[in-house]
Amino acid sequence: MNQDVCLTCCDIQRFLGEEESRVHALRGVSLTLEAGTVHAVVGPSGCGKSTLLYILGLLDQPDGGSVTIKSEPVSHLPDDELARKRNELIGFIFQFHFLLEDFSAQENVMIPMRRLGRLSENEMRSRAAELLEAVGLGAKLARPSRHLSGGEQQRVAIARALANDPDVILADEPTGNLDMENSQRAFDLLQRIVQERGKALLLVTHNPQMANLCDWIHEMEDGQIVNARQRV
Amino acid sequence: MTPPLYIALRFLSHRKRAFLLSLCGVIFGVAIFICTQAQTEGFAQHFIDSTLGSNGSLILRSRFQPLGAGLPVPPKKTATHHKATQRRYIEGITNAREIMRVSRQFSNVAACSPVLRGTLSARSGFENATVDLFGIDPALHLQTTDLTRQLIAGTFEDFRDNPASVIVGSKLGQELNLTAGDSVQLLSPGGEYWRFMVAAVARSGVGAVDAGRVYAHGKVAQTLLRRPYPASMIIYKLRDPDRAPALAKHFETLFQHNSQSWQEREAGNLQLFLTLRISAAITVSLIILLAGFGIFNVLTMSVLSKVKEIAILRSMGYRQGDISAIFLWQGAMIAAAGAFLGSAAGALLTWGVSHIPIRVRGLLVADHFLVAWDWRHYFWATILAVVAVFIASYVPARRAALLPPVATLRGSSV
Repeated sequence: MNQDVCLTCCDIQRFLGEEESRVHALRGVSLTLEAGTVHAVVGPSGCGKSTLLYILGLLDQPDGGSVTIKSEPVSHLPDDELARKRNELIGFIFQFHFLLEDFSAQENVMIPMRRLGRLSENEMRSRAAELLEAVGLGAKLARPSRHLSGGEQQRVAIARALANDPDVILADEPTGNLDMENSQRAFDLLQRIVQERGKALLLVTHNPQMANLCDWIHEMEDGQIVNARQRV
Repeated sequence: MTPPLYIALRFLSHRKRAFLLSLCGVIFGVAIFICTQAQTEGFAQHFIDSTLGSNGSLILRSRFQPLGAGLPVPPKKTATHHKATQRRYIEGITNAREIMRVSRQFSNVAACSPVLRGTLSARSGFENATVDLFGIDPALHLQTTDLTRQLIAGTFEDFRDNPASVIVGSKLGQELNLTAGDSVQLLSPGGEYWRFMVAAVARSGVGAVDAGRVYAHGKVAQTLLRRPYPASMIIYKLRDPDRAPALAKHFETLFQHNSQSWQEREAGNLQLFLTLRISAAITVSLIILLAGFGIFNVLTMSVLSKVKEIAILRSMGYRQGDISAIFLWQGAMIAAAGAFLGSAAGALLTWGVSHIPIRVRGLLVADHFLVAWDWRHYFWATILAVVAVFIASYVPARRAALLPPVATLRGSSV
């Protein structure tokens, strides 16, 4: 087994809905994410991009096929074990950043660390400050997340996704809610982290320019990857 | 601090007003529960203390013989449960001294006293009344009852030193216009009036006792009532009155005399007090239950407003149990604060109520609200609040835990 492979999925099948409205959302999707690479999944709305992302992120379970993280099959583990894996190995970034409004920027970044429970309160504070510093928000640690701009909130979400130093970062339209400048800045930041720290990033995007900056582009259509190409 | 507790505290501060209202409901319920229990038990305890102080914890009465005793063949249908009805009672206690000597060997017996009881007519001026005469041994009766503490006029010494004196119940005294120093006439079964001086007036707090009882010296009572025996009953003061039923049963077997514990004697009144306590507890529990509904609503609303946050937490690796715990912790904090503040408010309310003047003259006698200070009222109020809040929190907490995060994330990302 290749040591640099962070995540693989093989022949993923997923049905959504019930009876008449039941659709075959994923039809045998296979994918490999190596450390230090950025993957883009592109395709029209409803082609199964987000469904794939949630299955790879262990938030949803496939009806067929398998997901392996760090050589360990994980797709059919019990719910508590899946939650532990998510906490330890996966970082999520969502289009609408999804911060906890009642918490400050620093507290938001500390939430995954609290669950992991490896660091003391002071260590967590210091690591959260470090991560927010890295995304350019060192001066706004104590600011309530609802008082941050959209771009700032997305950067907090990026810092939060990195809080537990996960091997895999999954991003669902991470720049979909940002202007051009902020989109570029967020992408550059993610790309730099992935390359410097040996993570794997899979992002779902509708933005062709951003997709073209990724190492791999996987084109999806009707629940299948119809084309996968590496950036030259 | 666990992550769910930390998050619960933050969520709680987000919906302060709603949670404060729920908290007020719990505080109110707990306080009222404590106060009503203190009152109902206060009156019940006062009644028990009064009746024990007047009639003792246990009474030994007439001797009995089984109906079939002495027959060469036992009568038919001698089933054990008919034992009580197949007795022949022989009125009076002829060997009271011997029975008392043996009784005192029992560790639970603190004191005992012989009483000759009979019903007579009393006359004072133009007033007549039927009285319940208790012929007593002053010294022994003093050890067995609270008679001296019950005196509201006159002295016990005046009674003890004068065989031609009596102590009358306070209500009877009012009826016959008697007070200490007056004289009263008692009509003997032979039809002659005996004149007695009223040495003292006693108020036991038990309506029936105060309305009819007259205490006289035992020997005088025996002559007056024309009884061949010196005692018709022995009353006992016990160190542990709660164990009276067991001792009564034992005495009955040992002495072959009808024996009755205070619990059996006052069963009707005790049942009444118990019913009142249960009724009050049920009524007040409804308040706590309503507070529980309030908490249920608040937490359900909280879950609905935090659907997004729950999905985020799940995506970050929080387990279903963690999500559940966040909402259960919120309930637990309301229950803890409600029980603590409610107990304090309950104590304050109980103290306030105990100072409200009220004139009770009936089954028992009191001049203000009677309350009992018992830690068990606080314990049960707390248990009730915790159980109600737990049930109210469990359903929303479970619902929150089972929310599928993907549905929320997918719905928000379109």
